[in-house]
Amino acid sequence: MRAVLAACVVLLLGTHGATAQPTARSDAASHVGKAVRLMQDRLFSEAAAEFEQALAGDPNNDVVRIQYATCLFAQERNDEARKQFEIERQKLGDRPGLNYYLGRLDLRANDFTSAIRRLAPLEKDPALSDVSLYLGVAYMSVGQQARALECLERAARNNPRDPQVHYRLGRVYSMAGRADDADREYKLYRDWQESQRLAEQDGRECKDALRNQLIAQARIVCQRIADPNDPRRLILLGQLYSENGAFPDAIEPLRQAVKLEPESFEAWNSLGLSLFWLKRYQEALPALRKAADLNPQFFSTLTMLASTLHALGDDAAALPVLERAHHLNPDDPRVASGLEQLRATLKGKR
Amino acid sequence: MTRRDMLWLVASAARAQQSTGMASRGLAPQPRGKPSGLPFHARFTDIAAQAGLREPVIYGPAARTDYILESMGCGVAFFDYDNDGWMDVFVLSGTRRDGPVAGATNRLYRNNRDGTFTDVTKESGLTRQDWACGVTIGDYNNDGFDDIFISQWGQNVLYRNNGNGTFTDVTLEAGLLHQGTRWGTGCTWVDYNRDGLLDLFVAHYVVFDFEKVPATGRNPKCNFMGVPVYCGPLSLQPERCLLYRNNGDGTFTDVTRSAGIDRAAPTFGLTAMAADYFGSGWPDIYVASDSTPSLLFRNQRDGSFLEQGLQLGVAVNEDGTEQSGMGLGLGDFDTDGELDLLKTHFSGDRAVLYRNIGRGGFEDVTLRAGLGVETRYVGWGAGIQDLDNDGLPDLFWATGAVYPEVEKVHPDYPYKTPRVLFRNLGNGRFEELVSEAGPAIAEGHCSRGVAFGDFDNDGDMDILIMNVNEPPSLLRNDVSGGGHWLKVRLVGTKSNRSAIGATVIATYGGRRQAQAVTAQSGYLSANDRRLHFGLGAVRSADLEIRWPSGLRESVKAISADRLIIVREGEGVVKVESFTGARTGRS
Repeated sequence: MRAVLAACVVLLLGTHGATAQPTARSDAASHVGKAVRLMQDRLFSEAAAEFEQALAGDPNNDVVRIQYATCLFAQERNDEARKQFEIERQKLGDRPGLNYYLGRLDLRANDFTSAIRRLAPLEKDPALSDVSLYLGVAYMSVGQQARALECLERAARNNPRDPQVHYRLGRVYSMAGRADDADREYKLYRDWQESQRLAEQDGRECKDALRNQLIAQARIVCQRIADPNDPRRLILLGQLYSENGAFPDAIEPLRQAVKLEPESFEAWNSLGLSLFWLKRYQEALPALRKAADLNPQFFSTLTMLASTLHALGDDAAALPVLERAHHLNPDDPRVASGLEQLRATLKGKR
Repeated sequence: MTRRDMLWLVASAARAQQSTGMASRGLAPQPRGKPSGLPFHARFTDIAAQAGLREPVIYGPAARTDYILESMGCGVAFFDYDNDGWMDVFVLSGTRRDGPVAGATNRLYRNNRDGTFTDVTKESGLTRQDWACGVTIGDYNNDGFDDIFISQWGQNVLYRNNGNGTFTDVTLEAGLLHQGTRWGTGCTWVDYNRDGLLDLFVAHYVVFDFEKVPATGRNPKCNFMGVPVYCGPLSLQPERCLLYRNNGDGTFTDVTRSAGIDRAAPTFGLTAMAADYFGSGWPDIYVASDSTPSLLFRNQRDGSFLEQGLQLGVAVNEDGTEQSGMGLGLGDFDTDGELDLLKTHFSGDRAVLYRNIGRGGFEDVTLRAGLGVETRYVGWGAGIQDLDNDGLPDLFWATGAVYPEVEKVHPDYPYKTPRVLFRNLGNGRFEELVSEAGPAIAEGHCSRGVAFGDFDNDGDMDILIMNVNEPPSLLRNDVSGGGHWLKVRLVGTKSNRSAIGATVIATYGGRRQAQAVTAQSGYLSANDRRLHFGLGAVRSADLEIRWPSGLRESVKAISADRLIIVREGEGVVKVESFTGARTGRS
């Protein structure tokens, strides 16, 4: 599901500014704010209901419709998702993000020819790193084994830690009678599956330790997660420390993670957040800016960024960021109050 | 408000969001398409009570579950123990931890040939109250009478059929007692070395001990939807499978190591199903595994096996995700002459349908086939069977939750749930039916084992189902619509007498449908070994029989609507026309 959200972010970045419009009515904005939060919590059914209500009040809002369609896609409400994405394609043309989803919907509908037509041009888009996987599946389904192999081999290079890619590649090698290659991929599949399983287990134990033990003891448990070469594990470790208030311990793994995976929103966001709570505002600022660039719709990133700018005395820069956060979640009284204060401060300065 | 106050006020809003709860990862059902509107000619009615199957199957406490052992239930079997041509019923039983329950026992019901059964448990010598799990039926000593092997938590049991209506526990003499307590689950007769003698494969679930596993509520980590429940398999140790070779003198030898069975990683094994999946002439063994990759032991034709579930595409789903394998169905849903597989899973996941693509193994066609519309229930015993005699095998599975405590807090997660039936539309796709297939489909039960068979000899497939702490269900199928059918019973001569491991390919109306003679399927259960082919409007079929011995035999232009008995190497030796139970045997 991470891929779904990541692709949605790419799609929204493509429309941001060009077509995003302020919602027509405040109740529509309120629904959008709720929906975005629900979507980030992966509560797609509830988010879709909120987006649908927002669209009723503001039917021309492309951003909202795309997010609504993405929620439908995540729930495998395929026909409804296709309808919404098609509406946007008619309006916005053949955008990569739209074709990504439409191609994957073609795949789900067994229309492999159409899936190939839509997905093939997207392979070079670095932001859509899993296109090669789906394209490979489509080629495999129409019996074009050689092309399927090329795509899946690319997918394995793009996402070497994704067990699914190795499993699919192994299956194609098996069918092609390349037993040695297949066995290598199955081994990678097993290794990464096991790695993920261990990470989840270590994560649970670390979380328990952070809640129930002294930090010195918890560190011993949590260090099992640390793998200097695995950004997912480093992010998990940093997030666990951060979520449990052990901010100083969160910094190092997150710094390592952003070096290994510089486009990871989760890593930048957690790093910025941890630095903020340590009052290291100068260091928090670039991390939160990067996180907000990667995901401009994430409410908590925007509020943190606004707070950081405010702490550094740059209220003028903080205001539009906090306004964006308020736009996403107009019901949050703390942000509304903070925004009021900020506006008053700036007015007083003038 | 100071600058500092405002800073923390706003930041706290972000932190509040960060601590929001996680969403469920469960898969929701896909939306259903427009109904086909096609008539479905099978209609199921639960006639268990009127047929005399009235005793509840005891399995753990009635309204709660303290341990995983109490939740897993057991299998059932259709078999003809007295060779009178009518399917008898065998229902396994569990017990309760706090002591034996009066009247609880495995039960054998003799078919009265009039739609009713008589409980003959006591006179047959089969009275036993244990934690029975799986059953496999086969004639291991080739004396012409079917024997019974039961897997259990504790010690497994082998009953030899004495041929006079009684059975004798020969577990000790047969050399099948094992050291210590084990949880035997999947079990199947299989002639893996093709010597004409049925060998025995046993899967295991977890290492379990009442004294060492915390009961419900004792471990805060063990909860479901926020409700304390028993600890599931992931907190316990999996166990390896066992293989016993039949020595031909009534005894067995453990060949697990020499046959390479112990080289496979241990999994949480449940139903085991042996068949010649790839037409090699040698039986392979598939094991549905819970929360771990399912296993496919490929016969190496030298007395050993190589586990190749991953390589052959049946260990995990198409995304490479491990599933909670419970029950298995075997059949040829696309009538291409190859055996396909159906495997059921936990709620929030789909049953998986694997299409056999020959040498490359299997491909996961679950979503393409339209099975994504059903994820609500925990699935158990399953089958790929032509239920309406239209010539296209349908899909069926029984369901039932595992935590009775949960529905008290979450009424939308019931303990007793309906049966699932998907009708084959003939284009590689299926359509789920509820009200169209009779009242017994929508009835809620907490079910486990399922066996398919024609208990009333009326030319359609009926269904026997184990329900936890309730009497079993016997779903009588009343097919209308005039679809024709053909039943085939095989008798091995060089092959094992039960013909377990044989494959029959029926050619009719441009279709080639494969079926296999199995000794376990569904969920830890055993089907009527007479293969049933629905033929639709077609009035005859050609048959190709692949015997376990390697012999291939053809019989041509067999007229529909009858049972034929084929003896290995001799062709059709007997033909029987059915007129159904009400008028007696023809």
